[in-house]
Amino acid sequence: MKIKVYRFNEKMDSPSYDTFDLEPKPGMTVMSALFQFQEKFDDSLSFHYSCRGAVCGTCAMLINKVPRLACRTQIESLLKGNLKVPIFPYPAIGKTISWDPEKEVLVEPLPHLPVIKDLIVDMDLFFKFYRFIEPTFKPVDFNSDEEMIMYPVDVKKLQVYTNCILCAACFGGCPIVGQNPKYLGPAALAKLYRFHIDPREAEGISRLKIADIPNGWWACESYGNCFKVCPKGVPPIKAIEKAVDKLNNSKKSI
Amino acid sequence: MIHDYDVIVIGGGLTGLRAALCISEAGLSVSLLSKVHPLRSHSVAAQGGMNASLGNVKGENGIEDSWKIHAYDTVKGSDYLADQDAVELMCREASATVIELEHMGTVWSRLENGKIAQRPFGGSGFPRTCYAADHTGHSALNALYENVMSNEINIFAEFFVTSLIIDEGCCIGCTALEIMTGEVHGFHAKAVLLATGGFGRVFNKSTNALINTGDGLALALSAGAMLKDMEFVQFHPTTLYGTNILITEGARGEGGILLNIDGEQFMERYAPNTIDLAPRDVVARAIEQEITDGRGFEGGFIHLDLRHLGSDRIMERLPGIRQIAMDFAGIDPIEDPVPVQPGQHYSMGGIDTDINGQTNIPGLYAAGECACISVHGANRLGGNSLLETVVFGRIVADKIIKDIEIIISKNDEVVENAMITANKMIKNILQRKGNEHLFNLKNKLAYTMTNKFGIFRDKKNMEEGLFEIKKIQEQIENVSLQNKDRKLNQALIRFLELNGMILIAEVLAKGAIARKESRGSHKRIDYPERDDIDFLKHTVVSIKDKQMYVSYKPVHLGLFEPKERVY
Repeated sequence: MKIKVYRFNEKMDSPSYDTFDLEPKPGMTVMSALFQFQEKFDDSLSFHYSCRGAVCGTCAMLINKVPRLACRTQIESLLKGNLKVPIFPYPAIGKTISWDPEKEVLVEPLPHLPVIKDLIVDMDLFFKFYRFIEPTFKPVDFNSDEEMIMYPVDVKKLQVYTNCILCAACFGGCPIVGQNPKYLGPAALAKLYRFHIDPREAEGISRLKIADIPNGWWACESYGNCFKVCPKGVPPIKAIEKAVDKLNNSKKSI
Repeated sequence: MIHDYDVIVIGGGLTGLRAALCISEAGLSVSLLSKVHPLRSHSVAAQGGMNASLGNVKGENGIEDSWKIHAYDTVKGSDYLADQDAVELMCREASATVIELEHMGTVWSRLENGKIAQRPFGGSGFPRTCYAADHTGHSALNALYENVMSNEINIFAEFFVTSLIIDEGCCIGCTALEIMTGEVHGFHAKAVLLATGGFGRVFNKSTNALINTGDGLALALSAGAMLKDMEFVQFHPTTLYGTNILITEGARGEGGILLNIDGEQFMERYAPNTIDLAPRDVVARAIEQEITDGRGFEGGFIHLDLRHLGSDRIMERLPGIRQIAMDFAGIDPIEDPVPVQPGQHYSMGGIDTDINGQTNIPGLYAAGECACISVHGANRLGGNSLLETVVFGRIVADKIIKDIEIIISKNDEVVENAMITANKMIKNILQRKGNEHLFNLKNKLAYTMTNKFGIFRDKKNMEEGLFEIKKIQEQIENVSLQNKDRKLNQALIRFLELNGMILIAEVLAKGAIARKESRGSHKRIDYPERDDIDFLKHTVVSIKDKQMYVSYKPVHLGLFEPKERVY
């Protein structure tokens, strides 16, 4: 099989693709294929890596036109066609180069963020939106020596969103982010919702108001790619729908 | 470019973030340097939990947990090599630390009554381990990062530190390569805290993130600091066969059992009282023994069986483990047992510091896994490392805040010279034309360490290993990189990492060969017994005029007298 990798650096006018042959072994991931590429073919290939266990969120990239974590994506499953994700099409995953999905794996940088080199993108914009929603816990009225009480049922609801590893797969997979570079994006909004539903905070609707702006909750058009590409099963689309409902209801009641 | 701060923190995991927060809140200027974005630090991968004697869950016979019982378990687990004053400090601070994280937003799992849940871990007499399902590190790291963000602490992400700057015997900063641009920066400070984590990637079968190359230890050693107890390396009993991704001890804490090829719960033979929840060194050795004796599965693994827990409990308490088994081994633990084998997991040893994280170099401090304060001695208990990171992140920061009033440092010339040296070094590496291949050497080193300094050790094998390490040290001089760019050159970063790893490997080897006894994780088949008369002491290694010296330091006892360690 072959791995076809997007190559770009600032000295190049336009990106190119390098193809590298490898023997897929059971369990081989896209990340291990990239390491082989780096070790045996060209040590200048650049990509982000850290935990290799799908927890650190650093290696999100576009694999066979779907945003995924390289460390978690199995080559064999890709070739067998077992990892098809039916995402809503958008320009950034349009045709750039032809490839044969039964024999080749196409690896490209995550869309919607500037490419620095090869598979490395500049995450500044993503983290700018993350900071915009003020992701800091603000408990009310607590005794600094004692734990706050919180029930398992609430923990369960929260965990759906605290599972986010900020890999930006959803950011690269959202059609709206592609159209509107000012849209806060699914991850930041899901993070904001996480604080809103934390029972230890009693801010009510005020947290949601941070994103009560045209480029916040209201910009989502419910394509749902965010949930489909999330490696941790986080559903930003649900958070956004619920936030919109709550804001609409609060406006009605005024 | 030269940057000026009161304090430089190197490392953006739990220790680094906690310390930076503390220093910033004290009104000092602080910056945090990390070779990755802080959220990609290895702390994020910690699964099982954090020990604290909150006493939210009663022990057997309704006995209430206490810091002292926690300290006893820790000292016994350490095979009496831990410094007991440091253990006492950590265990006394534990409950407040769990609560502190809770107040920062960590979402701990809860009991029905709404209090923080606790579960049993290996080597503990109580359900003492607080957890956030099986992604405790992720939950704590995000909470700390969120707080660091709101305090507007300067973070230099993707900066690789190339040297510590020493002036008149004091540490006054560091040089660092900005990975994206290839530019060398100088950082001038009154104090430097190393919080760079462990060196697991010196071994080839490791649960550690690929970034855990022990950079801080090599920096400290090269700058004149000492490394302590480096021969004590923890092998986790249950790492996923194939990728060696961690399968938390919490899986056994929840009731999972280990089975050999005959379906026998073999731990009953090795630890009749605690069985599958014996400490990690005991369980790892037992598994290795079973495999050696032909009772493992082909390829060298045994089974971790969770099926009897039922799908509800697995989904609620161990969802991450289930996902890992499905993603990386194609196995659903609800349906099938998980294939596991021991793998390197944690470095008990590290930069030699006192109880406040101070090294022998004024102005240089260390905390977390890169340091050896020493709270883990010869074997760490599960749930104690997350605890150590946050407790000592704060305590060492407090010490720095106090010390800074008496530290005077200002010498731009020394910083400029250090930057020139770092630039020359990088230029030299990129110009090399030898025939050695970087990645071959890296793999050779990791293979040597696992084979010669693994779970069972002896003189002959270790001496062969040391010989191999020395050879790799010579060979690295002939490594040339294809990529000659300064900007975003990951091969260059890997070269710099390997340079340090070879140094660490030699320290580990020398300490292990010199320690002619078995204690905790250091098991010698030629010296199978613990020897308190000759070896109840810390190994300390230093470098002077390019020579490595092994010496020893006394262990701080005081609370508990050493006795035989039975489980």
